[in-house]
Amino acid sequence: MTEEEAFEFVKNTLKEERITPYHKNEIEIVHSVEGCINCGLCINHCPVVAAVGVDRFTGPRSIAVELSRSPPEFWSTADKIYLCTGCGTCREVCPKNVNVPEVVNLVRARIFEHRPDLVPKGLHMVREIIVEHNLAFEPWEDPEEKVESRDVRLERLDIPYTEDIIKKNAEVLFYPGCQAEERAQEVREAAKVVLNYFDVDYTLLDDMSCCGLPSALMGDDETSQRLAGLLKEKVAGLGVKKVVTTCAGCTSNISDISLQDQWSIPVYHMVEYLAEEVGLDRLKQALGSSKEFSEVTVTVHDPCHLIRHTSRRTMQDAIEILKVISGVKVAISEAEDSCCGGGGLVAYHSKDVADSVVQENLISIDKTGAERLVAPCPLCTAQIEANLFKSGSSVEVDDLMVFIAQRLPKK
Amino acid sequence: MAGLAAGTIAAENGLETLMLRTGQSATAYSSGAIDIIGYPPEGLALKEYLPDTEVPFKTPSDGLRAILTLFPFHPYGIIGFGADDDKVVESVIAHVKESISWLKERLAGSCAALIGGFERNIYPITVLGTTKPTCLIQETMWSETLNANPDNVLIFAGFRGHAEFNALSTTRAYLENQLRTGKPPHKVGHCVLEISPFGKPYNISSIELARHFDHDGSMVDLAAAIKKHVDQLGATHVAIPPVLGIEQALQNKAELQKELGVEVFELVALPPSVPGFRLQRAMDRTFKNAGGTLLIGHQARSAIFKNDMIESVVAQSPRREVTISPKTVILASGKFIGGGLEADENGIRETVLDLMPVTTNLHPAEEVRPVYHTNVFSLSPDGHAVLGAGLAVDMDFRPIDADGVERAKNLFCAGSILAKYNYSLEKSGLGVALSTGLAAGRNAARMAKEVS
Amino acid sequence: MSESDFDVVVIGGGSTGTAVARDCALRGFKTLLLERDDIASATVGTCAGMISSGLKYMDEPEIVDMCSEEVVHLNRIARHIIMKNPILTPILELSDLSTGGNFAAEYSKRAESRDVPPVMFLEPEAALEIEPLLNPDLISSLYFEEYFIDPFRLCLLQALDAQENGAVVKTYCEVIDIVVRDSTVESVTFYNRVTGEIESATTKTIINAGGPWAHKIAAQAGATLDLRLNKGAHVILDRRVVNVGVITKAVDGRMIYLFPHENTTLLGTTALDTWEDPDTLVATHDEIEYLLKSIEWIIPSIREARIIRTMEGVRPLVPTWKVPEGEVTRGYEVIDHESEGVSGLVSFTGGKLVTCRHMAEAATDLISQKLGVESKCTTHELPLPGMESDVDVLSIAKEYDISQHALERLRARRGTQIMEILDLVKEHSNWRTTICTCEPVIEAEIRYSIRNEFPQTLNDLRRRVRLGTGPCQGTFCTYKAAAILADELDLTGEDYLVDILDFRAERWKGIRPPMRGPQLAQEEVAQGLYACVGNLDQIETEYDPKPWEEVG
Repeated sequence: MTEEEAFEFVKNTLKEERITPYHKNEIEIVHSVEGCINCGLCINHCPVVAAVGVDRFTGPRSIAVELSRSPPEFWSTADKIYLCTGCGTCREVCPKNVNVPEVVNLVRARIFEHRPDLVPKGLHMVREIIVEHNLAFEPWEDPEEKVESRDVRLERLDIPYTEDIIKKNAEVLFYPGCQAEERAQEVREAAKVVLNYFDVDYTLLDDMSCCGLPSALMGDDETSQRLAGLLKEKVAGLGVKKVVTTCAGCTSNISDISLQDQWSIPVYHMVEYLAEEVGLDRLKQALGSSKEFSEVTVTVHDPCHLIRHTSRRTMQDAIEILKVISGVKVAISEAEDSCCGGGGLVAYHSKDVADSVVQENLISIDKTGAERLVAPCPLCTAQIEANLFKSGSSVEVDDLMVFIAQRLPKK
Repeated sequence: MAGLAAGTIAAENGLETLMLRTGQSATAYSSGAIDIIGYPPEGLALKEYLPDTEVPFKTPSDGLRAILTLFPFHPYGIIGFGADDDKVVESVIAHVKESISWLKERLAGSCAALIGGFERNIYPITVLGTTKPTCLIQETMWSETLNANPDNVLIFAGFRGHAEFNALSTTRAYLENQLRTGKPPHKVGHCVLEISPFGKPYNISSIELARHFDHDGSMVDLAAAIKKHVDQLGATHVAIPPVLGIEQALQNKAELQKELGVEVFELVALPPSVPGFRLQRAMDRTFKNAGGTLLIGHQARSAIFKNDMIESVVAQSPRREVTISPKTVILASGKFIGGGLEADENGIRETVLDLMPVTTNLHPAEEVRPVYHTNVFSLSPDGHAVLGAGLAVDMDFRPIDADGVERAKNLFCAGSILAKYNYSLEKSGLGVALSTGLAAGRNAARMAKEVS
Repeated sequence: MSESDFDVVVIGGGSTGTAVARDCALRGFKTLLLERDDIASATVGTCAGMISSGLKYMDEPEIVDMCSEEVVHLNRIARHIIMKNPILTPILELSDLSTGGNFAAEYSKRAESRDVPPVMFLEPEAALEIEPLLNPDLISSLYFEEYFIDPFRLCLLQALDAQENGAVVKTYCEVIDIVVRDSTVESVTFYNRVTGEIESATTKTIINAGGPWAHKIAAQAGATLDLRLNKGAHVILDRRVVNVGVITKAVDGRMIYLFPHENTTLLGTTALDTWEDPDTLVATHDEIEYLLKSIEWIIPSIREARIIRTMEGVRPLVPTWKVPEGEVTRGYEVIDHESEGVSGLVSFTGGKLVTCRHMAEAATDLISQKLGVESKCTTHELPLPGMESDVDVLSIAKEYDISQHALERLRARRGTQIMEILDLVKEHSNWRTTICTCEPVIEAEIRYSIRNEFPQTLNDLRRRVRLGTGPCQGTFCTYKAAAILADELDLTGEDYLVDILDFRAERWKGIRPPMRGPQLAQEEVAQGLYACVGNLDQIETEYDPKPWEEVG
């Protein structure tokens, strides 16, 4: 037998034994899990456990100390591992920084490879869309309808439409993410208004493609890597110096892949960009004296991908920005360990779980007495808005960019 | 606890205080009981030295006196370093006593409200049926009358499918102990209740019971479930695991007592417990109410030193790095659980600032093999010396190097990163954390004010 | 024949003793198995569980043949507790390549019968893709496949099957005297450590399968037995740190291995002649360092992996002296003490886990001859309990509302026996509760084991259900399982607390020697539970110090 044939044989044996060797870039994640001392503090804080109980979702502790220990048995974790919303609370309360959100992806990737039949059907449907369109949502069939939908939203929210700018060598790439590109188009447009107002030299992609996070979350590593590569090419082709996004998930994921694939340019969420690069002084000048809007008490939702996957300072930035807007009072929700339930693609196959997870938030939001909730992420916004509406709450929900764009003086 | 106490007192002193935290602390890990001092360190046979002192210590002040006499470099001893020779003992006692009052005041009315006091150690019952000496305990976890009347009848109530507490074994262990010592109650029974927060009588965790009992109306079912057992046995007291709620435990206890007409109290559970969760939450709120800023998810990684001062601290979040330039720094990074210390086969190291760790005998610990500082017995009054490793400090709780010189004038430390105490065997954990936290916090505040 | 009268008394409940008891019982002999501790509590309980094809002993072709054939038999009778072990032997130096070639030829001769491929050679890039932790300087790699068996379950199933076929199995019964009359064994006297009573049994045949104590047992009958005792240490790492097994040369040229096994990784072994009491032995720093240093050449990052414990066992080798341990035969000897005037006493020296059934067959043949009975061995044909059919984990997980992973682990331990455990769940809904969260182990399995598999302590439960074998080493399951044991065995409160202390002591025995890294944090947690809160370090109990504690 030649060495090549031998290698094929061995690979086949490993496949039979359901072993996918850890890649070099996974070893650090696996190593972090070895820090687990089985204490279960994470179980006390996990929002999914709080919502559905430790019998249905055995929780981050079990992922660390039980479910992720033996690759040949990963297939058998399929009844639990897809219920993690990836909120990152466990990693944050863990004294050992056990990287449970990433190890979840690693286990899912192996189930995807060896037992695709055990991957929830809803995820396969998303996968097909992504593979076909490079977007997490099915694009509009009729481009005119897409424009119509956008214009209806913009009119309702009183946000002006500005032409897309696509050019080389701009300072900033504004990356709206799939949700703002296809669904919550008002967020994309609002961000453009904000960037224009502050004279930011920006460009959009001429052909929007997904950053690859949803593929990574379902374990489709091949697609997620392909999309990351595609985005890198586009970013390099445009010659931008910074990437700014309005989506929490994109923020953490692009921060990650830019580091791993050596993009050598910084990635910001819009709130970070506004606070750090535009500066609170300019924001205050622009937003601090308008009398047009009546006084409003606002509460915020903290997207997991910002506070727990990026940095909690992002939400300090968001609150600082809100505070400079005239007529805005900020009421902080008491929800600890909160998650909108929309993460981890859980809603695509176990909607009951995702909806139970958000409940805790709804109660805390109501308790703040705020009239309006803003979130710096179109996905969280959609998930919370739908559930608040269902619960009969009168609290209105906006993406933070929309809220800001509305309050900027017309230029 | 040390960090929160230090941060809170600094904030209360009008300082702008930022707390960097990654992971939760020993507070969340604890049983919620605030131990001051229960046993002498290192399994010392106290009889030889202090024949009149009873072990376990009857009062914290007995314990502190013994420690100050025999272990002057114990963290409690360091509190008294600045005092005149003849006032050391009194100054430490005064500080610890004041620390207790401070904490009780801050937590009054919170979900972790405390009872107990400096005048005595108390012996709450654990979920193993044993008792342990402690000083302060959450109000829900104590019955003053349990041991008072020989006719008392205690019933341990557990929950089906809740593996963290087994009422039968606890009953047997506790009852045998009562019969051995002759102390009441002499009649002890047990019962198992069917309460399922998610409708299934299996895999029920303490936290989900506690959350369940935070909901309005949940006490009705619980009272009804306990009632028949109380009547059957003629119980005067009911002990249940500490799951009576996170925010509502005290109200729930009152409601249960009213419904049942007997005293109800929670047991001390093995960590991480719901009372620990309450304590962490209450302490976080205390810190924030005092004006402190809590930056969760940021791990202090290193510091930039300039001359004999720390100029800035670098902290890492999952995908960002921040640099903070404070006037003073308090290191309360914990021991091996907290991650303040790490060890391999060649030695122990301090993880954040690369300070010099010492053994429990105050020798440099950078080149000691951990196994040689452990005991062949897993559980014994001698404990494991390696758990007494940590930092050596000066009288202001500033970490010192091998020459006894402070690493930085504006660097203080507190809590279990300190050397020369083993909280598990002494039963002194949160007491040392609290007392040293307040001391270090005050010292840091004083310095910060001097600098400005 | 009275109740205390037996055709055969087997002394020692290790792999060999239980195999002998099973063989004797299957052949219709009235059999008593006496074990001074628990089934599989000594030598076999500290082995890696590899049923090797004899690859280390290529210069003993007849042993290789035997091993190879036994693997086939075990796969026939105990498939449900056997796992495949793909192995890489990376080669760093050219000189090792030719040795590898010789081995490959010898191994490959017998590969087909075991249903494994012949030895193959892989290019460095291929080996690195399979195992990225390997030293990138390797020049080639051998690849071959072996099998693991769960050694605890194997011994227990042999004992249970013996019991099923009429044998009496008594654990915690230590033989204190063998009565010999007219140069023939007449009876054994033993101390029952559970009841505290002294009992005896009459018999004409005694099989001494006492492993490292076999010479002491022989001495009780006035017979002599020479043994070469040789100790071996394993370092146990948390989770599978390598994707496949790795075999390499140690610092002294012996072969050592790093095997992913169940949900841990085993690094072993050392080989040192010993004259210590096996009960007192723990791994030494030198042994731990020998293993780490040796594997470090080929897996440079090995020290970053979390060590959870060590284990130390003693091999009862055939007494060949003045040669290195590696040159002592891995074959075995059946010694009939009749030649020295003790008729009816038969002892073993040597042997390996994989040959335990073969050894039993040889000894039982000898007994048949002595008893003048014609009998046929069937132990290589009849399956052990639990191997009846495949188990569909996905469908029973749904049916019984238990996590798939918990059931998959349960299946891997028990095969079709899983259904008897699930029957308990039907009656006792709450027994679905997870007790050991690392493995995991559910309450029903613990209850089932206590009722059917005669454990007396938590440590016995560990051998049967893998309780407390994960990274936390029983930190969070000890008190929960102790309560269940106390309930099932109707123990006092004192016994309940002592059971907790005993299991902590037993776990600590292995945790302590390599203490470093995350295990220090783990121990701080454990002390937090049992000392800080439980106060078990300070309160007085009737705890008996253990042999290794008394010398430590």
